[in-house]
Amino acid sequence: MLEGKTRLRAGALVFPALLLVAVFLLAPIGLILRFSLDVYDPSTLMKGVFSAENYVKLLKDPFYTGVLLFTAQVAALSTAVCLLLGYPVAYFISRSPSEKLRSILIILTVLPLLMGNAVRSAAWMVVMGSNGMINGLLLALGVINEPIKILYTPTAVVIGLVSVLMPFAIITLQSVLDSIPVSLEEAGRSLGYSPLRTLWAVVMPLSIPGIVAAGAICFCLAMNAYATPVLIGGPSVHMMGPLVFQQIAKVGNWPFGSALAWVLMMVTLVMTVISATYLNRKYF
Amino acid sequence: MTAGRIFYFAFVIAALVFLVAPLAVIVWASFFADKTLSFPPSGYTLDWYARAWDMEEFARGFVMSTQVAVCATLTSLALGVPASLAIERFRFPGRETLRHVLLAPMYVPAIVAGAAVYLYYIQVEIATTLQLTATFPGLLAAHTLVALPWTMRLVTASLAANGSLAEEAARSLGANAFQTFFYVTLPVIRPGLIAAALFSFIASFTELEMSLFLVGPGKTTLPIAIVNYLEWNLDSTIAAVATVQIFIIGTALLVSDRFVNLGKAF
Repeated sequence: MLEGKTRLRAGALVFPALLLVAVFLLAPIGLILRFSLDVYDPSTLMKGVFSAENYVKLLKDPFYTGVLLFTAQVAALSTAVCLLLGYPVAYFISRSPSEKLRSILIILTVLPLLMGNAVRSAAWMVVMGSNGMINGLLLALGVINEPIKILYTPTAVVIGLVSVLMPFAIITLQSVLDSIPVSLEEAGRSLGYSPLRTLWAVVMPLSIPGIVAAGAICFCLAMNAYATPVLIGGPSVHMMGPLVFQQIAKVGNWPFGSALAWVLMMVTLVMTVISATYLNRKYF
Repeated sequence: MTAGRIFYFAFVIAALVFLVAPLAVIVWASFFADKTLSFPPSGYTLDWYARAWDMEEFARGFVMSTQVAVCATLTSLALGVPASLAIERFRFPGRETLRHVLLAPMYVPAIVAGAAVYLYYIQVEIATTLQLTATFPGLLAAHTLVALPWTMRLVTASLAANGSLAEEAARSLGANAFQTFFYVTLPVIRPGLIAAALFSFIASFTELEMSLFLVGPGKTTLPIAIVNYLEWNLDSTIAAVATVQIFIIGTALLVSDRFVNLGKAF
């Protein structure tokens, strides 16, 4: 009786929030899974059949396969750069001498993240544009005679993505590094290891779960990026996120757009499972 | 200090500068006096802020974003606080699954969620003739979805950190569930609640990808107005608009720092 009452109460408290997520997220995602298996028809929009045509088209049409591969390459490269640049920062934050410094560093890290994709992309455009800061600086110093093209190139997209993703990498790595006792490093040092060798032989292997989780999060966010490829990449850079928007909102090919969205969804699901599995594999 | 340590410190500082510097540059560029953006500027002015406010899409976008973010924050608290209470204070099967489901909006890619909600709204419109795309309620539902995980995370963390001892004491002294919540729980989790509200506000105010599908002509949010403008222009006007958003989000962060340790909120 008492247990039944508790369940009823908990259910009543949680129901409205659950309803919101079920009605406005889970049902729509289910709906586009169905749409992705339908076939586009220019006059009726959809034929109402079951077919794998859209997924086959994505794997067969060289243009779309190219977009998928290019997106995956950009995502992989951005992820690798994020991990390389982010690891030392995360280690520094994790081992910072005072709580105050640590707080300041974390705020500095997440500040750009919270400003939103539109503002951050705008900021990078001002830095990299043809009349932007880098070109202005190089022209003033006489290094170049006319503006060089930085904006609207794949390199610019990678730079933009790295700045979007690095806060996620730093925060994830830092929380895992926090769980590695400093005493282990002291043990390494007392055995005569140099700081670098201690890092490589002691800290690095123990932080592998963090590296995998951070890598999975970065890769997944890069695959799904919208604002960075559109604004910093420009019209000549084709990536999956903008393609989903274009197919659904502009072209009106709902089945194919839904299939593209579901490919991104699958990548995200796989990456989430990988990161969750590794993060739960705690060594301490 | 060894050369290695100097290199290490320089590396960390360079990485942090890489993250923060673009924001500083765009704030700087919002004060340039030159008609077209050029570095270094010939002088400084505040005119771009007036010009940005005179442009209807930015003024309207600002008002729209503020309205949606305030409403989404309040709705998210109204739904998220009871749900957090159920998850942290009751024991029932499927509790962890429920927690993950309620945090799901944070993990589903925004562009996928936007596409899905847009097509779903159109289906609802066909079935019921109730218009949802390009309406305020339709946008609000999506923004509440974006805000909910932030509310849940910060409120459940606050509930977990404070324990349920005081609540049990109140109940054993005869307080009913509502009295216990309003006189015992609420005052204790107030800092967490304020942080939840501010982060929900930030999440909604800066939301771009879902809104792209759901706004209508003349009824855009500020981030969308910024993206649309950037497709054709890059000047000090957009720098001024971006600076206003940076200022709003920065203020919200500073305020929330007074209530929760931001270093531990992530």
